[in-house]
Amino acid sequence: MAPQKVQTKRLPVTDPLDGAPIQLDQPGYYEGFSTLSQQAYWDDATRKVVLQRMTAAHPILFFTPAEAATMAAVLDRILPQEDRTAARRIALLPPLDDRLFHNRIEGYRYEDMPSDQDAYRQAAKAFEQMAQTACGRSFHELETMEQETLLQSLHAEKPTAPEDAWKGINIKRFWALLVSDCCSAYYAHPWAWDEIGFGGPAYPRGYMRLEEGQPEPWEVDEQRYQWAAPADTLTDTPASEQTGEKVQSQAGQGGTH
Amino acid sequence: MSLFDRNKPLFGSFGKPKDGLHHLGPLQQIKPPQRVFRDDEEIDYLIVGVGSAGGVLLQRLARAGFKVAGFEAGPFWDTERDWVSDETGSHNLYWNDLRITGGTDPLALGNNNSGKGVGGGSVHWAAFTPRFHPSDFEVYTQDGVGADWPITYEEIEPYYQLLEQELPVAGPAWYPWGKPHGHPYGPHPMGGVGDTLIDGCTKLGIGVSAGGPVAILSASRGDRPHCIYRGFCIQACKVGAKASTLVTHVPDALEHGAEVRDNSMVSRISVKDGRVDGVHYFDRDGNERFQRAKAVIVSGYAIETPRLLLNSACAGHENGLANSSGTLGKYLMAQAGNVILGRFDQPVRMYKAPPAHALTEEFYETDPKRDFARGFAVQTVGPLPIAFAKQMSVAKNQWGWGLRRTMMDYNHWSALGLLGEILPWKDNTVELADGKGGRPEARDRYGLPVAKVTFNLHDNDTKLIEFGKNKTMEIMRAAGATEVVQEARYAHLVGGARMSKRPEDGVCDKFGRTWDVPNLFVMDGSVMPTQGSANPGLTIQALAARTADYLISQGSAVFTANGRDLTSPPCRHSLSPPGTFTKGIPHLR
Ligand SMILES: Cc1cc2nc3c(=O)[nH]c(=O)nc-3n(C[C@H](O)[C@H](O)[C@H](O)COP(=O)(O)OP(=O)(O)OC[C@H]3O[C@@H](n4cnc5c(N)ncnc54)[C@H](O)[C@@H]3O)c2cc1C
Ligand code: SF4
Repeated sequence: MAPQKVQTKRLPVTDPLDGAPIQLDQPGYYEGFSTLSQQAYWDDATRKVVLQRMTAAHPILFFTPAEAATMAAVLDRILPQEDRTAARRIALLPPLDDRLFHNRIEGYRYEDMPSDQDAYRQAAKAFEQMAQTACGRSFHELETMEQETLLQSLHAEKPTAPEDAWKGINIKRFWALLVSDCCSAYYAHPWAWDEIGFGGPAYPRGYMRLEEGQPEPWEVDEQRYQWAAPADTLTDTPASEQTGEKVQSQAGQGGTH
Repeated sequence: MSLFDRNKPLFGSFGKPKDGLHHLGPLQQIKPPQRVFRDDEEIDYLIVGVGSAGGVLLQRLARAGFKVAGFEAGPFWDTERDWVSDETGSHNLYWNDLRITGGTDPLALGNNNSGKGVGGGSVHWAAFTPRFHPSDFEVYTQDGVGADWPITYEEIEPYYQLLEQELPVAGPAWYPWGKPHGHPYGPHPMGGVGDTLIDGCTKLGIGVSAGGPVAILSASRGDRPHCIYRGFCIQACKVGAKASTLVTHVPDALEHGAEVRDNSMVSRISVKDGRVDGVHYFDRDGNERFQRAKAVIVSGYAIETPRLLLNSACAGHENGLANSSGTLGKYLMAQAGNVILGRFDQPVRMYKAPPAHALTEEFYETDPKRDFARGFAVQTVGPLPIAFAKQMSVAKNQWGWGLRRTMMDYNHWSALGLLGEILPWKDNTVELADGKGGRPEARDRYGLPVAKVTFNLHDNDTKLIEFGKNKTMEIMRAAGATEVVQEARYAHLVGGARMSKRPEDGVCDKFGRTWDVPNLFVMDGSVMPTQGSANPGLTIQALAARTADYLISQGSAVFTANGRDLTSPPCRHSLSPPGTFTKGIPHLR
């Protein structure tokens, strides 16, 4: 076993007084690491795709303004970014809206699910109904914890919602779809790669240091610190502890081997 | 000194860097299709789908001098422009058109399954290329479950040897499982995940094959450079190091006068007087056309192949073409593909190295001490951030800050894949979503009913998965992981148009010739009666090469006679693409 290369240093991530997150340009343990700084070493096609992702303006075309407000608030809870400075937040709604507007699907639909477009349309309405029923306000106006409580009820497949708000939708599958869309948007972004220390595009240069987590000369070593989520959240504990029961996830959907 | 000297490429015959950037240049100079047959010209063999099987068939038949065309629903890839080192940017590699999935254990399709475009699934496969074991061909005889193949291991063995050199396959000189054999190219160096597998298995006394078998170049060959360990294999290998029929067989096919008609979706196979006379297809502009052919081979993948045959129902074949046995679209199989994830204190950085680089088949065979038949393999996988995030959202049931926190530890996780044999069951099916008989209705952009896939696990499968999952978790822990979680999933669809000894048990004979229509063949993963716990790609290509030999031996008889000759052909060593078999490569005997 190679010597432990991890250095530990402490950086407060939440303000010790009010628990509010301290905003960083780049959260994560890889201070100073920038995949974009390596773009001269990427191939043209990849560079084009990645840069376009960062700069392209996506007008919201699929969701109505009201639906967009709800969904933006939902996505902000599925992958919250209050620890990022405003200029360094990764847009989650536009890629989803763009996918739905162009009806780009993953190649299948579950027998017990409507189309992705219909499912999201109904979900936007259902989230709003849940908010109105539980708190008498719009979903996007709720406090973080209130939003999380509602989402948690959905995650536990027992949404606090009017009877038929989720009718015709297999909630387990919708939840997976929702989280998966958020992951696709967030972790496609170079800023997210910097955050988690992923090397990013690697053609034509390739990687040379394959073992024991060694960084390439242009990657950086991990600088660990005691990371803490903001105080006003329910989601930084394992799901089973949140609900007190085991939620059975559905089978995974990505290709591997 | 900079590693990247502008005027001196690192290795191989690459073009010069341009724009002041560091390029290896367009590595694959694939000439676009040159020959174009007219629709009313009667071609000899029309192949539907230029994927793993279709690419090999096209190359062999072209070399043998047949007039042959491959119709491919997807594009002819321009690898330099179309392929990227990026997860999201690789979305178009997959069959993204609608399919309906159901059953008690519905399969995820799309990027979990099949490709669309020249090369098919071999473009996005991880390129693990283990052979099947001899026992795979007689599962019913040995275990009383599943089915026997109409061929034995010995019949396919010479084709394994051929394909292992044509791709070629890198791996250890001595592979101990199944029928022991070696590999023509040397094994690859280990990545972090391979080390996990070796560490865990070594502690438990389990043998591991390190550095292969994978169809990835460990040394450059011809115009194909060796692997640069960039880890984007299932996003398509832009380097050209990983084998796909697009780079291994299609160029040679074109060289020998084959046509690849890309962006052409075959909608129906036409039958006249009991014989196939051509296919209806939609061309790149969406126009419906008809191409005459003396014989048709369907190589469209385990879902699209049954779908096309079902959509080709006609008078005399009311239940689908070549379906007098009633087995078309039945006995569909997927392998259990659970991903077992382990967190290590030491960073792993599993995105480096090809996801496929080490495996164990120690648990492949039936063990009477276990309470289920057949077995499983354990392999390396290397999910990139998006895939990993999705896996963790399932495996740890996380979202919100918890998911962000876990993801910040991406570099501390390692991932192993279970590959478990699921048996062929009659109720695992591909049907048409045609709105009839209680089936849902859904159509594609051409108005054709899409495939409805039904998948149910049975008792043996559930027990096997439970055991295999636990064993893989044990390996992960033995390697030193402090936290181990897993995600259930399935991989590799095969079956659905199986080959059989008797016409009443399957769709086609041992060469893929359908029992009902003498000049209609099926040749791809859908012909498999069982699937073992080896990734299917090598076997699919070996079967295709064998069928090509058969067709060549049959000469023009296929085009005119209705009789069925089941004599096995000689294995021809003269048809390999140049510079592969017996050409300057260590030859295994
Ligand atoms: C992520 C991932 C990783 C994998 N890793 C491995 C691995 O490591 N090792 C391994 O052995 N296997 C692997 N596989 C599986 C492997 O890719 C497939 O088993 C194999 O490619 C199937 O070959 P095929 O010839 O049956 O079909 P395909 O290769 O899928 O080819 C079918 C082709 O037919 C075309 N087509 C279909 N219908 C029509 C129509 N009507 N008209 C015209 N064209 C049509 C399709 O567009 C496609 O190009 C992996 C799969 C995935 C998804
Ligand atoms: S790891 Fe090797 S085989 Fe895989 S994509 Fe990269 S260069 Fe190609």
